[in-house]
Amino acid sequence: MASTAAQAPEMAPARAEDKVSLIRLYVLRAAYLLLIVGLGGLIVPQIVSHPISDRGIIAALLGGIWLLAFIGLLHPLRMLPLLMFEFAWKVIWVLAYGLPSWSAGQLTPVTSEDLTNTLVGVVLMPLVIPWGYVWRRYVRQPGARWR
Amino acid sequence: MASTADSASPSIWKRGEHEVSLVRLYVMRAACLAAAIALGSSNLPALIWPDPMGRGMITGILGGLWVMALIGIRYPLMMVPIFLFEFVWKTIWLLRFGLPQWLAGSGSPRLSADLIEIGLFPVLFGLVIPWGYVWRHYVRAPAERWR
Repeated sequence: MASTAAQAPEMAPARAEDKVSLIRLYVLRAAYLLLIVGLGGLIVPQIVSHPISDRGIIAALLGGIWLLAFIGLLHPLRMLPLLMFEFAWKVIWVLAYGLPSWSAGQLTPVTSEDLTNTLVGVVLMPLVIPWGYVWRRYVRQPGARWR
Repeated sequence: MASTADSASPSIWKRGEHEVSLVRLYVMRAACLAAAIALGSSNLPALIWPDPMGRGMITGILGGLWVMALIGIRYPLMMVPIFLFEFVWKTIWLLRFGLPQWLAGSGSPRLSADLIEIGLFPVLFGLVIPWGYVWRHYVRAPAERWR
C-alpha cells in the first residue's frame, strides 16, 4: 500500500538474483546459447533471403526469439519470461496439434519435424527453468502496484 | 489528480521514486488485457478444436503469448521481455516481409490483413514499452554474475 512497500516488487530483480546458484545461471545461459545457435542456423537464413511471396510469420516470430536470446546471455534471470514463453507455446502446440496428429497417424514430413523440435523444448525447458525462483517471483510475489 | 496523500504519490504521470509511472503500469496492463481478450477469442478456439490438417505453429505460439499476457496483467514490468519480443518480431516481419511485399505490389487480401494485424503493432508497442526502464535494466544494468 505505502509507496515504499510498493516499490519493492519492481526493484526486486537485483536482489532476488542471488537466489539461484551459479550453476543454474550457466545452465540458463546455455539454453539461450542453444536458442541462438539453433535458430541462427534454421531461421536467420530464411529472414535474410526468401521468396518475396513468403508470408514469413513463423520466421519472424522465431527470429524475435533469436534476437532476444542474446540479452538472455547477459541477463538470464530477467529474460526468464522468454524461456517460460518457449515452454508454454511448445507444450500447447504438442498437446493441441503434435500428439493428436501423431496418434492419428497424420504427421506430415513438416509436422513430424515440428514435433521433434518442439519436444526438445518441452523436455529441456522444465530442466533449465528454476521453478523455485519462478514460484517466488511470478506467483508468490505481489503484483506491481495498482494505485 | 485529486489525491489526498499528495506527499506520498505526487503524480500518476511521473515515476517519482518508482520504476515507472502508475499511468505507464496501466497502459502496459491494458495492452496485456487487450491481448488476452483478442487472443482468447480468436486463437483459443483453434487450440480447443484444432484443424486436424493444420500445422498449428502460429496457433501454438499465439497460445503461448496468451498465457504470458495473463501473467503480464499482474506483473507488467517483469514481463517486459515479452513486450520486447512482440516489438521485435513484428518489426522483423514488417521490414523483411510485409513492407517488401507491399512495395513490390504483390498484394493479396491476406497481406492486407497481416499488414494491419502485425504491421501496425511495432508503432503501438513502441509507445507502450517503458524505454527508460528497458535502458536502465536491460542495457545499462551490469550482467548477472559470471563467477
